[in-house]
Amino acid sequence: MKNRLVVTISDMKISRRPRDLLVTHSLGSCLGLAAYDPASKVGGLIHCLLPRAVGPNVQNPYMYVNVGVPLMIRKLAAMGCAKESLIFKAAGCGRMNLIQNQFDTGAQNMAMLESLFTKNGVVLAAQDVGGTIPRTLTLDVETGKVTITSQGQEWEI
Amino acid sequence: MTLRDQIIARAEQLPQMPAPVMRIMAYLSKPDADLAELASAIEYDPGLTVNVLRMANSSFFGGAGGITTVRDALFRLGTRRVVQLVIASGVAPRTQPPVAGYRLAEGELLRHSVALGTGAEVLARELGLRAPDHTFTAGLLCTIGKIVLGQFLEVDADQLLTLSSKEDIPFEVAERRILGIDHAELGALLLKRWELPSPIVNCVRWYMDPDAAQDEERDEALDLIHVGHVMATMSGIGQGLEGMRSTVCQDCFDRLKLTQDALIDSMAQMVTTLAEIEVILSRTGA
Repeated sequence: MKNRLVVTISDMKISRRPRDLLVTHSLGSCLGLAAYDPASKVGGLIHCLLPRAVGPNVQNPYMYVNVGVPLMIRKLAAMGCAKESLIFKAAGCGRMNLIQNQFDTGAQNMAMLESLFTKNGVVLAAQDVGGTIPRTLTLDVETGKVTITSQGQEWEI
Repeated sequence: MTLRDQIIARAEQLPQMPAPVMRIMAYLSKPDADLAELASAIEYDPGLTVNVLRMANSSFFGGAGGITTVRDALFRLGTRRVVQLVIASGVAPRTQPPVAGYRLAEGELLRHSVALGTGAEVLARELGLRAPDHTFTAGLLCTIGKIVLGQFLEVDADQLLTLSSKEDIPFEVAERRILGIDHAELGALLLKRWELPSPIVNCVRWYMDPDAAQDEERDEALDLIHVGHVMATMSGIGQGLEGMRSTVCQDCFDRLKLTQDALIDSMAQMVTTLAEIEVILSRTGA
């Protein structure tokens, strides 16, 4: 029986226990990012609400893509993951009908991730982003398998 | 009898607001009400008293702690604000159970509703506006029509979703096409029947589509609530089957002179504040 560890909005969890499933629900315009090292079999999952903090005082770094994602990677490295062997998969970043680009936090979340990764030479292995569907993202720590469930359907990315 | 008429007829059979809340609500139309009399009316109900004191003492509702009596709360927050908190406290439990038709688990609709009301309030503060007193309460009540459709009438949202996806139309348009009424209109009808003040009823009626409201039905709370709804939806809080299939009214953003940074900051504050308010309202026993 798998153990579901739920990652809430603006939260991050890491596990090396094979029986754990890291799960995050209700990805609207938020970014869900799964990171997995197949060598050490360590996985991490983050659920970022926003692309960046407006002011300098960041109470919760996991709320923001620009500080939360690098922090997750540092924590994974501290648990023995080699940065170059991490596999990253992204989901979420949805968009409401007729929202103007400047308020489209979903697209901004994705753009921030892409900019971070480009700067650091990291490649995104898979993504399922945009549109209007709600998404639940799951990372199986035993296998590294990443699945999305939405509106009664389930698929692997 | 059309499906729309059947739905309205069924909604009319739903129980009224709790009697103490109805009694207290009547004070909204009495600007010269005796504070001692109003305080007694609230204190008559222990559940309401506890909730009013909890909310009045939370930093979110403007109290700074140390409010120990209902009379204190009325002095510090004002009569209208306290009566709004009583209404919120009376209606919130109705949004707590699961709403099968919309695939919402227990507590999810309440969470979404609280996020919407909280979002509207934090947005006003971020923009340096004084939110009208009914803003939070009206925001909290916006989704009450989903309770009627999804819980009591067991409307099957799969059918709505299929139409919405197939024709690429907003979810509320699919509600109108299939049911003859959307959850916002039904919610407003219900609240009108419960004799809630018209500023609240109007906000609930038009929160999905503020530009469709008549001038006399529109106030600043409506714009704040619409953006609160956008913020709650994008955050995915209490998200139902429909996901983000609703339409944004850009005019609301323009009227409020909203900036990108103000939206980002407000969403952060909404998520941070949400837990505190949700705990208070999910415990309500009114």
